[in-house]
Amino acid sequence: MAEVRPDEISVILRKQLSGFESEVDIYDVGTVLQVGDGIAQVYGLSKVMASELVEFPNDVFGLVLNLDEDSVGCVLFGESTLVKEGDTVKRTKRVASMPVGEKMLGRVITPLGVPIDGKGEIDYEKYQPIERKALGVIQRQPVKEPLQTGITAIDAMIPIGRGQRELIIGDRQTGKTAVAVDTIINQKYTHTEEAKNLGIKPVYCIYVAIGQKSSTIAQVVAKLQEQDAMHYTTVISAAASEPAPLQFIAPYSGATLGEFFRDNGKHALVVYDDLSKQAAAYRELSLLLRRPPGREAYPGDVFYLHSRLLERASKLSEDLGGGSLTALPIIETQQGDVSAYIPTNVISITDGQIYLESNLFNAGVRPAINVGISVSRVGGNAQMKAMKKVAGTLKLDLAQYRELEAFAKFGSDLDKSTQRTLAKGARLVELLKQGQYNPVPVEKQVMSIYLGTNGYMDNISIHEIKHFEKEILEFIEVKYNNIFEIIKKEKQLSDETISEIKKAADEFSSIFKESE
Amino acid sequence: MINYKVSYRYASSLLKMAKDKNILEKIAIDVELIKNVLKENIALRKMLENPVIKPHIKTSILEEIFKSKIDKETMNFLQFVIQKDREDLLYDIFQKFIELYNEILGIVNVDIKTAFEFDDEQKELLKNKFEKYLNKKTRIGFTLDKNIIGGFFAKIGDTVYDASIQHQLELLKKQFVSSGPSLN
Repeated sequence: MAEVRPDEISVILRKQLSGFESEVDIYDVGTVLQVGDGIAQVYGLSKVMASELVEFPNDVFGLVLNLDEDSVGCVLFGESTLVKEGDTVKRTKRVASMPVGEKMLGRVITPLGVPIDGKGEIDYEKYQPIERKALGVIQRQPVKEPLQTGITAIDAMIPIGRGQRELIIGDRQTGKTAVAVDTIINQKYTHTEEAKNLGIKPVYCIYVAIGQKSSTIAQVVAKLQEQDAMHYTTVISAAASEPAPLQFIAPYSGATLGEFFRDNGKHALVVYDDLSKQAAAYRELSLLLRRPPGREAYPGDVFYLHSRLLERASKLSEDLGGGSLTALPIIETQQGDVSAYIPTNVISITDGQIYLESNLFNAGVRPAINVGISVSRVGGNAQMKAMKKVAGTLKLDLAQYRELEAFAKFGSDLDKSTQRTLAKGARLVELLKQGQYNPVPVEKQVMSIYLGTNGYMDNISIHEIKHFEKEILEFIEVKYNNIFEIIKKEKQLSDETISEIKKAADEFSSIFKESE
Repeated sequence: MINYKVSYRYASSLLKMAKDKNILEKIAIDVELIKNVLKENIALRKMLENPVIKPHIKTSILEEIFKSKIDKETMNFLQFVIQKDREDLLYDIFQKFIELYNEILGIVNVDIKTAFEFDDEQKELLKNKFEKYLNKKTRIGFTLDKNIIGGFFAKIGDTVYDASIQHQLELLKKQFVSSGPSLN
């Protein structure tokens, strides 16, 4: 039997402990005056910085938010029951920061970078402050590459570019999260060999869940895993049960992680789901810190809260590597009221909005996007030429349809041209319907819209449109696959391609039979 | 918290008045005296804090105690504070005054905790060390605290110079535990 000699043990102990220095430790302290509701008032800490992390006993950390004449207001990231009046508070001389790195992908973490998925520690590259200043004008360039969401209605009419901030707004249960999750799933193609050959750079995704049910977050994570989308995605979770300070900093953590990719010349997509809950968490903090309430009891700086977050979305100039950070903030409205305080704020900050409506959703139009009032202010520059060409007609047709929609109930009493516009519009609306977790590649989107706007579906009955679309796309994929290849490569519709499409469509139309 | 602002205001105005009239040292000695008396006499403090006792009675009591021992200006200040119904803050005001006065003189207060009583030679040695390190005059107060086991613990303002065995054991404990997941 192997023996362990006592002197061996003491040698190892001495070796392990030799790195321990016993010098005078110099640190700054304060005393807790008052604690409660996740807020601590601290006396002392006279040299503390704003938004510095401070250490309370029992490993509770706090964030300094108020610097008053004679006291310091901190919010606690842990249980406030662990902190007592009279406890000593230490400065850490570090502003709130989180670890960042490639290894964060595929993980579920808290806003402070601690993994909560039970997969062990994360090897990070460095610490980055959670609150960083947005880039200036010199470091940026206009948005120029498209970010495909895989949702035909959005990619055609409300295109999003890499580096853009596009708001997703709507009532509860209108599919806001579904749009965002579909977009994340659709980024899978950017990580393929094929995309690399076409010069499409991979997009890394960050999903920030703020104030949501833990079960909902678990559902999203499971869906992403099932769709094989987790290996390029990080989920930052600040569930409803977490303290308000964590919910408040969660979006900034997401932006910090996104900036890590952006600054390394890569592309990142951050979804903030949702910012109304973050604003509510911030309102809670501010009221507890006794900051004066303003409209809807939000503090005076609630606009800055969101503007400084969304300003961090950017497209870097080529000198800085040309990386990008796209932001998809989500806002939940109450009864479709976009003129409430937070929705108007965020609408004015972002570069456009995707407006989801519950009556469309209930009428079976899913995704329930109201294309009439949804806009994208900068994404058009990034849109693929081929898509731009077909989307122009689509927008026009749909606008005419909406104008005449009210008359649809008169049916055959209407004149021929009105009837034609209505019939076409109804078919286009049908064409833009799309199932969840079913992203469509851009070349197929172009094809569908081309066929829809050029009358190839006018003679198909409405309930058969989806069937027709599926069949013809399969037909072309098998028989005329080069068309898709050409669209992908050339990124535009040349006259030859169009005549090729016409030929294929005519051939298919002659053999297509509606199902009984 | 409001007390802090009030006592600061009264203390700084007393200081300014004394400086203008060039009697700062005299007033400082008076303040030190009154503060010590207040510190030692709980009954006197209770009397001042008691709102039932009429202001003129409070004034006459203070006059009787201090009249022969302090400057006229200091007495006036005491009367003024009582007149303004702030006599319950008198101790805080004088404490603040001494802080501000020390700041002017460039003296810093150092509170030192040790596990065992230092002899005078050791105390002098430590004081010289601190004066050299801080480049300022120091006034050192020693207290005993068995909990720190050994070494010393010095507090200057909000900054702590911790060379105690207790703190080192805590650090060692942290170092052992830090292999687990931590917040930062």
